[in-house]
Amino acid sequence: MRFDIAVVGSGLAALVATRSLQKAGRQPVLIWPGLSSLYFVYATIDVLGYRDATATEPVDNPRAAIGELIAAHPDHVYARAGLEALTAGTALALDWLREAGFSWRGGLDRNVVLPTATGTPKPSCLIPDSMAGGDLGRDDPVIFCGFEGYEDFVPELAASNLSRTWGHAPGSVRGLRIRPPRFAPGRLFTSIDLARSFEDVAFRREVADRVRTSIATNGDRVRIGVPAVLGLTHVADTHARFEEEVGHPVFEIPTLPPSVLALRLFDRLRKHLQETGIELIWAAPAHAAEVSDGRCHRIQLKSPGREQAVEARAYVLALEDTADGAMRAGVHTIQDPFFHRVLARSDVPTERTLESLFKPQPFAQVGYRITDRLQPADDDGRPLADNVFVAGGAIAGYDPSGTKSRGGMAIATGYRAAQEAMAA
Amino acid sequence: MISDDLDLITDTVEEQAPVEACTKCTACNTVCPVARSTEIFRGPKYLGPESERYRDQHEATVTAGLDLCSGCKLCEVTCPSQVSIQEYIRRAQNKGAREKGRTLRDWMLGHTRLLSAFGSMTAPLANFGNRNPVVRLAMEKLVGIHRKRPLPRYQWLTFERWFKRRRQQAATLTLPRKERTVAYFYGCWVNYNERRLGEMVVHILERNGVNVIVPKQQCCGIPAVVNSNIDLARTYGVENVRRLSTLPAGVDIIASSTSCGLMLKHDYSHLLDIPGAEPVGSRTYDICEYLWMLHEAGDLDLTFEPLDTRVLYHAPCHLKSHGMGYPATRLLRLIPGVHLEEVDEGCCGISGTFGVKVEKYDLSMKIGSRLFEAVKAAGSDSVLADCETCRMQVEHGAGARSSHPVEILARAYGYR
Amino acid sequence: MPDFTTGVVVIGGGSTGAGALRDLAMRGIDAMLIEKGDLASGTTGRSHGLLHSGGRYCVNDLAAAIECVEEGRILRRIARTAIEDTGGYFLSVTEEDEAWEPRFVEGCAKAGITCERISLDEARRREPALSKQVRTAFWLPEDGHLDPFYLVMGNVESARRRGAQVRTYTEVTGFTREGDRVTGVITRDAVTGEQTSIGCQAVINATGAWSGFVAKLLDVEVKVVPVKGVMVVLSHRLAHAAINRCHKPGDGDIVVPGLSVAILGTTARRVPHPEVLPIEWDEVRLMLEEGAMMLDGVTAARAMRAYAGVRPLYDLGAEAEGREMSRNFAVIDHEERDGVAGFTSIVGGKVTTYRLMAERVTHVVARKLGVTTPCSTADVPLNDRDDELDQLRHRPAQMGAPKPHLGEDYLKPLVCECELVRPEDADPWLEDPAVRGLEDMRRRTRAGMGPCQAAVCSYRLAGRLVTARHQDGAMATRAMADFLETRWRGVRHVFWGSQLRQAQVTTGLHLELFNLDRQLMLENRPPPVGEDHGVGLAEAAQATRPR
Repeated sequence: MRFDIAVVGSGLAALVATRSLQKAGRQPVLIWPGLSSLYFVYATIDVLGYRDATATEPVDNPRAAIGELIAAHPDHVYARAGLEALTAGTALALDWLREAGFSWRGGLDRNVVLPTATGTPKPSCLIPDSMAGGDLGRDDPVIFCGFEGYEDFVPELAASNLSRTWGHAPGSVRGLRIRPPRFAPGRLFTSIDLARSFEDVAFRREVADRVRTSIATNGDRVRIGVPAVLGLTHVADTHARFEEEVGHPVFEIPTLPPSVLALRLFDRLRKHLQETGIELIWAAPAHAAEVSDGRCHRIQLKSPGREQAVEARAYVLALEDTADGAMRAGVHTIQDPFFHRVLARSDVPTERTLESLFKPQPFAQVGYRITDRLQPADDDGRPLADNVFVAGGAIAGYDPSGTKSRGGMAIATGYRAAQEAMAA
Repeated sequence: MISDDLDLITDTVEEQAPVEACTKCTACNTVCPVARSTEIFRGPKYLGPESERYRDQHEATVTAGLDLCSGCKLCEVTCPSQVSIQEYIRRAQNKGAREKGRTLRDWMLGHTRLLSAFGSMTAPLANFGNRNPVVRLAMEKLVGIHRKRPLPRYQWLTFERWFKRRRQQAATLTLPRKERTVAYFYGCWVNYNERRLGEMVVHILERNGVNVIVPKQQCCGIPAVVNSNIDLARTYGVENVRRLSTLPAGVDIIASSTSCGLMLKHDYSHLLDIPGAEPVGSRTYDICEYLWMLHEAGDLDLTFEPLDTRVLYHAPCHLKSHGMGYPATRLLRLIPGVHLEEVDEGCCGISGTFGVKVEKYDLSMKIGSRLFEAVKAAGSDSVLADCETCRMQVEHGAGARSSHPVEILARAYGYR
Repeated sequence: MPDFTTGVVVIGGGSTGAGALRDLAMRGIDAMLIEKGDLASGTTGRSHGLLHSGGRYCVNDLAAAIECVEEGRILRRIARTAIEDTGGYFLSVTEEDEAWEPRFVEGCAKAGITCERISLDEARRREPALSKQVRTAFWLPEDGHLDPFYLVMGNVESARRRGAQVRTYTEVTGFTREGDRVTGVITRDAVTGEQTSIGCQAVINATGAWSGFVAKLLDVEVKVVPVKGVMVVLSHRLAHAAINRCHKPGDGDIVVPGLSVAILGTTARRVPHPEVLPIEWDEVRLMLEEGAMMLDGVTAARAMRAYAGVRPLYDLGAEAEGREMSRNFAVIDHEERDGVAGFTSIVGGKVTTYRLMAERVTHVVARKLGVTTPCSTADVPLNDRDDELDQLRHRPAQMGAPKPHLGEDYLKPLVCECELVRPEDADPWLEDPAVRGLEDMRRRTRAGMGPCQAAVCSYRLAGRLVTARHQDGAMATRAMADFLETRWRGVRHVFWGSQLRQAQVTTGLHLELFNLDRQLMLENRPPPVGEDHGVGLAEAAQATRPR
């Protein structure tokens, strides 16, 4: 199959790269190896939450902090992608979200700190409107409201933690649970079941009634943090109506998977691409690049029956990491699927990790060395192929988990890789 | 000695993904059309990889709720670890049915070919019966086929006989020598219900210089697979593989149903583990996939009559599993005057015989409701889909007319 | 003055201590078990779970083999639900193995072990995963899987019902004496640091590899040699029956399918201290290599983690080392040997013979107390009152056990989806004061023992600590982090393939979705690193005490 430009991946980097190409009038194809495992992380777009993995103070202005980061670390992924790519990519993403029917907010000049499901303040940059009420920069009391029988969001835990690290006045954070209508106690229901039910007006009203009765605030200012289940798709509507019915600001908090926030975002963006004429190749793990004379001529997809060759002028490899098969981790080596290069070698598997799970892990750093144009490079820094560009987690040194920067890095590299692919 | 070996064999994603590659990311549950539509389904993660760890070949225990899996395979399409979730579900379901027995209804739906052959022989009567409320009520009560579900019309003249007849007529004509020959796997649908689609496929291929032969064939087996009868599906599959394996080298196999095609390409060699299935699968092509290949080789006749038409395209779930993109949309965009819009609202809900069953009908309509709304909102009365049951469902649920994408192509070639 | 008194204090919450506690209680003796960590957190819980038919010992250690035969049969009567009757194979894969066969067959005959040579075709029919290298297969129907956690909990619950008491996370720091007689123990709570003096008439030292340290508090010597064994856990059973190499017992020659997993074992390396159990890569690799000689699919299967346990080999003064040493046991009457009355040690042995060891030591102590009630532990089943042990019985992975979620009520919620743990399996333990952290919950419910290694259930369980146990968030979060860290320490040793990809999901959830690394920093405590004997818990408790 021949295409203009092939983008391989399913995460934010791949989506942004595809959209950038589309906006520039090109006709990319999106090759989807299976959904990114990080589906549940992308509830928000985090650009730079902390300066480094050990900082406890959140970054206030991500743009400024990234500027400093780039100056200090010219090899950093942000430096390679460039601040312009981040800026342009973010603008493109926000426009796209709007066009696809989402209400998101935020910008690169300010982080907003929101509580997580463990009640931990976490800085994010671009967020859906339905989460905005959680801004901990404001001092209104917070009530975490969960559902009896739903354990993927525990309001008591969140309340207890947040009250110690944030509470402005005693009692300014509390947790409560209401019994959801329809769901019998002792019966399994998931965030998806709740989200579907919230699209039903009677259900939503009944929940709102129960919340209103339970909080009994005597007119005090409070805001209600609920698990992110306010509608599978029609979220703006559901959220606004629910807020009205509850009579207080309501904000969503991402839950354990299945993540409804991620489902809404990725489902819609993917569909929007398809509606606007982008072809998607599902179920096709890409696994080999044929390179000669410094150019990649085709990549092979593992399709049912036989391999399918995809030929394009340029390729953007926007895989997340090992989780979605970008890298193959054997006992001693980690290899990439396209050029079959050994990207990391370890005598002993433990070398890939640190003793504590909560520290930056060496394995997360593994990826392609890249050139200044984001081409995958050999050990001497020469491109493996002139027309292949890497975005997202497959880049070496890309470990956003400690600095909370996954979304920003995906956008910056995805955008930049798309620009380079067009020039190739 | 082992370090190198280990490096190879622990590469779980690269090799066939065993059930244990599951990382509990739950992406499968988020895309599952059934899990999105009802709270009585635990979802593919639980029924597939999670339960599989507890299934023991010596034990009779079978997970409850397996029958709610419609078999759309979106979970497999989505799984970043490429776990063959469906295969585990189907095997467990088959095992349960083997031990506990199958209902008459599931037995019948598994034997679609038998049923269709009978329907076709008695076409006027069968069609009358299938549209008669009294008969339908009886069918619902006795067999468990939902009375509101429109059943396909049977045609008396099967595709097989049509083709044979045509061949005899054509024998007197001198056909041009053609470089390419394909074997058409028409499937039960074309044979008994929509011969016209088969006629169009033959016409389009011949117009493009491809010689079409029609080997003897059996049901592909997918109705049996989804009705907990893998054993029967394997019997069918073995017969098809035997027949198709005798085709001369260089003859590709064409399917005009995405589900039949997927069985030939993939499930015969994987789920059904049929010896010799791989070479058959590797030369099987979906009709649009094949035509696009002709186009890329510069051999597709592009002298289309312009059509001024606006059509919607619904990608069937099993098409997504083919890993070939949407060749129909690429083809149709070659035709001047065709305005193609994609409505990607996921599964239509029917999933073959799933939405026919009395206890699944409402669920099936609920799953499809987003698609129906989108079709109605788009205000077009023509929806294209490469899968016959999707077309049935769209016609039923959205009140639109639905056809296979090759119909547009055939029209553009002036086929009437 | 003691804070309170009991009849007999049993030190050590492994299978022997739990067995002795039950034996005492059944003889009507007031007893209390003191354990410095959690029940089954030492040697017992870190065993590979093979219920020995005796075949493994029948050539070199006939006495131990005969004990295994007898005790195995008793356990099948009294601890039904802790046992999976898988049967076992002894496989020859090399010429040397074949040379061992006559001795093995003879040993089995001498020990009275049922052993049948079966054809390779038959063996492969029953166990399709047998490797091509297998030359001979012997079928030993009395090998099996013994769930060590269930076994200890079952004994303890049975004893509790008869009035015995249990204190976990309580370390014996000293003894009270009157002349040559021990009159009680001094304990320290590992979490609160609180000191307690417990008066008693006799003390049983059932601390296995730690026996020497406890005895030293009384200035008596007990020579126990700590020998480390490393094991690797695979994410599914691979085989139906327990697999042994038919040769002189060596490293990596056992594969035990138990519950939802298979355990490859084990190595034997002498260590300086029972808590210094480093897992070396060459040991992990050896387990996989050796396992692969017997079973196909060992190296391709998903290794979930590795762990190390310590054998409490009793030094009988011989020259023997490690495996050469007897797996037999001995009761040391310190009154007789060292002139310290009221103190008796039970040393050596193995989990399969725990009951006999308990019986012997209890017999000595009871006689001194003037109690003549005979031992009845061989006759009365552990779960003699089913209703109260229901929570223990939920082992859905066990062959033949009911699988509640696979039946009609399959829509029940689960706390841990990998191991099918229901809320009602977890909740009763939240009321048990012996349970302090989530690792303790794991030992009792299996939550967190599946492929994702607590990535998901840690949050739900932490939630239950707050809602059901009314702990404050800091303590629950700490418990969640400790749980993940302890699992992580095992995962790191098999860090490739699926487990590496899993780690990305786990870090994605905990670092990015929850921001848990920052939560821990906000609590101003670095994540604890060390052995999981409640160390992290102690810190957690300290961190959350009123400031």
